[in-house]
Formats: sequence, structure tokens, C-alpha cells
Amino acid sequence: MQRKLIEYADTIYPEKLRELKNPPSRLYTCGNIKLLNKKGISVVGSRSNTQYGEKMCIEFTKNLSEYNLIIISGLAIGIDSIAHKTCLKYSGRTIAVLPCGLNNIYPKQNIDLAKNIVKEGGLLVTEYDDNTEADSKKFLERNRIVAGLGIGTLVVEGGYRSGTSVTAKITQELSKPVFCIPSSIENKKGFITNKLIKNGANLVTNVEDILNCFENIKFKKKRKSLNKKEEKVIIPKELKLIYENLEDEVLDINQISRKCKISIQEASYKLLLLQMEDFIEELPGQRYKIKEK
Amino acid sequence: MLSKIKSISLIGLEGNLIDIQVDISNGIPEFEVVGLPDTSVKEAKKRIESAIKNSGFEFPSKKILINLAPANIRKEGSCFDFPMAIGILIAIGNISQIDMSIFDKTILIGELSLDGKLNRINGALAMCMEAKQLGIKRVILPKTNANEVAIIKDLEIIPISTIYETVKFLNNEINISRVIYEKNINRSEYKMDFSEVKGQEQAKRALEIVAAGGHNCLMIGSPGSGKTMLAKRLLTILPDLTVDEIMEITKIHSVSGELKKDGLVSKRPFRTPHHTVPIATIVGGGKIPIPGEISLAHNGVLFFDEFTEFNKTVLEALREPLEEKKITINRLSGNYKFPCNFMFVASMNPCPCGYYGDLEKTCKCTDFEIHKYLKKISGPLIDRIDILIEIKRPKIEKINSKAKSEDSKEIKKRVNNARKIQLDRYKEFGIYTNSELTTKLIYDFCKLDDKSTILLNEAFTKLKLSVRGYEKILKVARTIADLESSKNIKINHIAEAIQYRNLDKFLNM
Repeated sequence: MQRKLIEYADTIYPEKLRELKNPPSRLYTCGNIKLLNKKGISVVGSRSNTQYGEKMCIEFTKNLSEYNLIIISGLAIGIDSIAHKTCLKYSGRTIAVLPCGLNNIYPKQNIDLAKNIVKEGGLLVTEYDDNTEADSKKFLERNRIVAGLGIGTLVVEGGYRSGTSVTAKITQELSKPVFCIPSSIENKKGFITNKLIKNGANLVTNVEDILNCFENIKFKKKRKSLNKKEEKVIIPKELKLIYENLEDEVLDINQISRKCKISIQEASYKLLLLQMEDFIEELPGQRYKIKEK
Repeated sequence: MLSKIKSISLIGLEGNLIDIQVDISNGIPEFEVVGLPDTSVKEAKKRIESAIKNSGFEFPSKKILINLAPANIRKEGSCFDFPMAIGILIAIGNISQIDMSIFDKTILIGELSLDGKLNRINGALAMCMEAKQLGIKRVILPKTNANEVAIIKDLEIIPISTIYETVKFLNNEINISRVIYEKNINRSEYKMDFSEVKGQEQAKRALEIVAAGGHNCLMIGSPGSGKTMLAKRLLTILPDLTVDEIMEITKIHSVSGELKKDGLVSKRPFRTPHHTVPIATIVGGGKIPIPGEISLAHNGVLFFDEFTEFNKTVLEALREPLEEKKITINRLSGNYKFPCNFMFVASMNPCPCGYYGDLEKTCKCTDFEIHKYLKKISGPLIDRIDILIEIKRPKIEKINSKAKSEDSKEIKKRVNNARKIQLDRYKEFGIYTNSELTTKLIYDFCKLDDKSTILLNEAFTKLKLSVRGYEKILKVARTIADLESSKNIKINHIAEAIQYRNLDKFLNM
């Protein structure tokens, strides 16, 4: 992949980063550098997220990328990876800011993800030269670039004393908005978001809440090329009974066999066929629901 | 004078005939045992002396030398007390009426107590079976062991209660009735039944397949979903034990001293070791190795509750036994072989808090924690498990419902039928069930039609199954087809089998 070194003096050096207290003197990049000057939202959160956090992250990232916003995050495990992955899945563009050199991608399990990001027209950015290894100091330094690149920061989840809070703090210092997804008080990983909300951050329950904060910017929704026509789902006759039962609620295989009055053998055969045809999807706990198109 | 009688010693489950040679000569009174005896054999000297005196005989104050031949095999245990005592009595001439040649085909085993009575010994069944193999026609053993050895055919077994009685018997002064060969084994019934489990239709179906094909199985479910309850009832649908199987099981149990008073083990064993168990208890061990849990579960079920809590080394130690169906323990004193053809059933929670994917309670674990939890089970081990099922917590109304579900008897009928088909099919290949199929045999017996092949290939890419699950799916599909007495594997069999591999992606997460 083409790598490019951007110096502070270059015209392509993003203006937003110059506003930082200590802007990076040069940026090592890999991928589509045009993204640096486009509008994006930073999505940050805990490395050890809960299922709730994952769900919310997917929900918000998906909708944000539908508004052509770039998703900026740090390629860490947990919320960061979920944000990157979701963005790629819905063919959005994403920037990963690394705490390490481009030859030493950290964490290792995300090397494939990093490659995918570049392949799908995304960008990897770092201020460290190619062979630098990651360490805890660099994580915090990286966070200022994450905050700097976005027009605002969305905090999904975060525990007490986390890097997430640093990113949020820097965002506020840059007088950019911080958006928080509320969590249950009992949720340990909801500590940061709830605290930020208490101190005046924007509580958001849907993507429109975020977009409405930027009055001078108009967001255009991506035209969906997928649903040209409202296609009617055509279900084979013998699978119809199960499909219809699943329309109202999420069921597990035992309930399906009871409701449709068919044996487990038959139910599992038919459920597999439905899965193969992408009519239904499986949830944790072997429960099935209708797949949204 | 010299006397020579025979006894038997076990190394693992293998028997070796031992010649007990007693020589009594004049000289300074002395009592010596040679021929690699261990401590328990050496201690026999004191027991023999008291037992002979208390039986009303005179203990010779002469030079007594006992040799246990062959002298290069280590002898252990207390079962030589009795033959050594009789050897001494013969050598001093207390037993005069007999023809010494009868001892060529007779062995004596038993432990003495100080009053001259014979105590029960461990491993009596194994000894008698091995003795029969080695050409022995008659066994004299303690009366308390008579129950367990009654199932051996064509072997004259004489139950004895004291030394005095033995002398009288050998002198033809009294008659002792032989142990009668017991052809009919009274099999005990299980006190549980599958109909007691409400709901859980899928789990029951999966266990039916497990029983029919002898597959290993892992159950994943929240606390209180009934994993243990289901696993215990697996026994009730397994085919009845054959006499050979009963003998094998009893043999192992008798060696490890697990046998109860009534003798035979007529139920399939169900072993549930606790998760803190050390490795030697699982695979077998000790200075002189005794069978471990895996061998005690031979022809039965080995159940690991809370699979993830087991020590990693213990889990990894299961790998070879699961493949080989036997274990060899190497010690300085020799190699000890034990069979361990068991069905492996394990249960675990889906995550540390236990409620991942539960309907009512929400899971409080982070992805990282779940990942760490699941990583405790290595890929190669999952590799050896054919069926993975998720057990869901039933709703409270379900538990109280009176809806009738199938009882074990009906399921067992189908299982027996499927097993019979397998037995017929694999007659020439030396295996009994589908779970034992090797890669070559899988391609011979698990042929798919085009439609099924396409479905299977598609499922792999779409459901992100791991490649190592491929053969497992074919084996399980074979069992499902056998349950329906279908000669070929059809598309619905494959589809159902894929469902039992679905958790693969969760475990690989």
C-alpha cells in the first residue's frame, strides 16, 4: 500500500490538527489521505466493552457512516475495533490512529483489520516512524490526534480512569462537542459516559441528536443503492410456517418446534435452510430472528 | 522339605503366574521372603505366623525360605499371604493326603487376618480372568470375593473362609461347594428417566444422537438450565451392557478397589470427578499405578461439570485417551495398560457470569472476559468433541407443565436399533460406533449426494464453521441417518448435524 509522509508544513496537513496544543510534527500515513480533511466523528470507548456497548456502538456507527461521516478511532480492541468493523461493513470510510509505527501494528490481532481498512479506502495514521513499538505513553498521545481529527467525539463506554476520559477531555479543550451514550448506573463500563453527562456533555439517544449539534453543517444521507425496489421476500412454501412465527418475536429452536408442531429434527433442518438463504439470523443462545434487509 | 504352589500377580490389568516355592530346612529359625517383594508382601511374614498359630497348627521354628518366581517381576499386595501360608503348611507336612500335581492348574489368592480367616482382596475378578487365560482350571479364593467372580465360565472356583478349612479341604476331609456359574446377571434399574426433564427438546434429541453414535458432547448453558440433570439421564438411554462389557468394567473396578460388596458392576459407570482433581486421579497413577477416572468410566460416561474450571493440564491429558481408547502409564516397575473407552460429556457456562445469551437475565461480562474464559479450552480438545449443544433455561411454566414427554424406554429402543445397524456395518473393521470412524472409513461410509455436498460447503462459508468440524459433521450425520434406519445420508441429516456444530464460531470467538 502506498505510504505517505506528511510534514507540518505541507498543505495537505490537516488544519484541525494545527489547533492542538502540541500538534504532531509529521504524520506517517497509509491509505487514502484525502480522508484527513473530510468531516468525521471520533468514536471511542473501553477496550473491554459489554454487550450493551457493542450493540450501541454498532447502531451509532452504522447510522453515522450512512450520513457519509468518517469514523475515527484508535484500532484498539473492544469499542475501537467494533467501530472500525461496523463502518467497513456498511461501506463507510474510517481512519485508524495508531499508537505505534506502521510496521508494528498494535494490537497484533487487529493486523487483519488494519489491512482491511486500507483495502476499503480507509486510512491509517500515526505520528511515530515505521518501527516504533507501542507503549502506554503513546496510547495517551494517540488520543489527542483522535480527538483532533473529528468534529466531535462520541463516547460509547468507559470505565473509571480510562484513556476514553482523556480523549473526551481533549475534545472539550478544543471546544468541540462530546456526545455520550447513557448507560445503566450499575454498568461499571458506563462510569465515564454518565460522569461526562453529569458534567454537561451531550446525552445522545440517536444519531440525529449528534447531527443536530452542528447547525451550520448539512448532512446528506447516502443513497441506498441496495433497495432499488421494495423487494418482497419470497419464502419457499415449506419454510413459511417457521418464518411467519418468527415475524413477531425472537424464538429458540425448542419454542419453534413447539409452536409449529414439528420435530426438532425437522426444525433444525429448516432453520439451517432459512439461515443459508439469509432470511433469518442466529443470536447468542441459539435464538433466531428475521434478518433485516 | 520343599513345596511349590501357584498364585497370580497383576501388573495393571495383565496377569502373571507366580510360583511360590517354600523351602524349610533345619538351622537357626529364620523367615525370609525373596523374589522382589514389596513392603506389603514382606509384612506378610508376621501375618502368616500369627494366622497359622491361631488356626491350631504349629509354626515351624526352622529356617524358612520363600521364593516368589519369576524373581524379576515386582510383587505387590496382600494376596500372597494365603498361598504362602498354605505353602508352609504343605512343606511341614500338615497336608499329606494330596497329590501335589493338582497345584499345577490351581492358584490360590487371599489375604490373611491374624485369626486365620481370609480377607477380601482387590482385583479378584481381574486375577481369575487372567488366570483362566493362562490355562488355570481352579482358583481358591476368599469367600467374600465369590460374588464378583461368579460370572466367569469354565473355571472352578472354591470359596474358602479360613486356613483351617483349607487344610481340611485339601486333605479331602470336607467338601466345599463350588461357586455356581451365574449366567443371568440381575441388572439394576435406573431411578431416573428422561421424561422428568421438561422442555429441552433439542438437548434431548442431541443426547439421543450422542447415545446412538457414542459421540462425545459438550453442553453450554446458563446456571440452572439442567445440564447436569440431562447428563445423568444419558445413562438411561444407553444400550444395556453385554456380559463382556460387565466383565471389563468389573475387572477395572476390582483392581482399583472400587467394588462394593455385591460384586458386579451391572450399570454403566457415570464418573463425575470434581474440577479440582489432580491429573494422576484422572489418567491413573501412583507409584504402582491404579486406574484413573478415565478407566473407571470405561464403557460408561465421564462427565466433567464446569469444564472450564478444570486445570489445563488435566484437560490436555484427555487428548490421547479420547483418541486411543486406552492409556499406558510408564513406571520404573513396568508399563501399565488400562482401557478407557468412555463417552465424554462436559458442561460449562457460556461466560464467567453465566448468562450470555440468556432470555431473562442480562450478561454482565465484557467481550474480553468471555474471550479469556472460552480460551481455557484448547482447539485440539474441542476437535475431539463431536456434538456441541446449547442448553437454554426453561421458563418456570414449562417446569410445572404436565405435558407428557417421551420416556427413556422409547428413546432407548431407537438407540439400540441404531447401534445394531452400526455393529453390522463395522463388523469387519473392528469398531463399534460411528464415533470411532477414522478418516478413511468416513469417506467410505459417509458418502453425500450432490445436494448435501453443496449445502455443507455453503454452510461452511456462511456460518464460519471451522474446517476441523467437517469430519465431525459427517460422523454425526451418519448417526442421524442410522437413527432413521436410512441407508444413505440425506440432506436433512446433514443439515441437522451442522446445527450441532454451530457453536464452533462462538468458541472460536
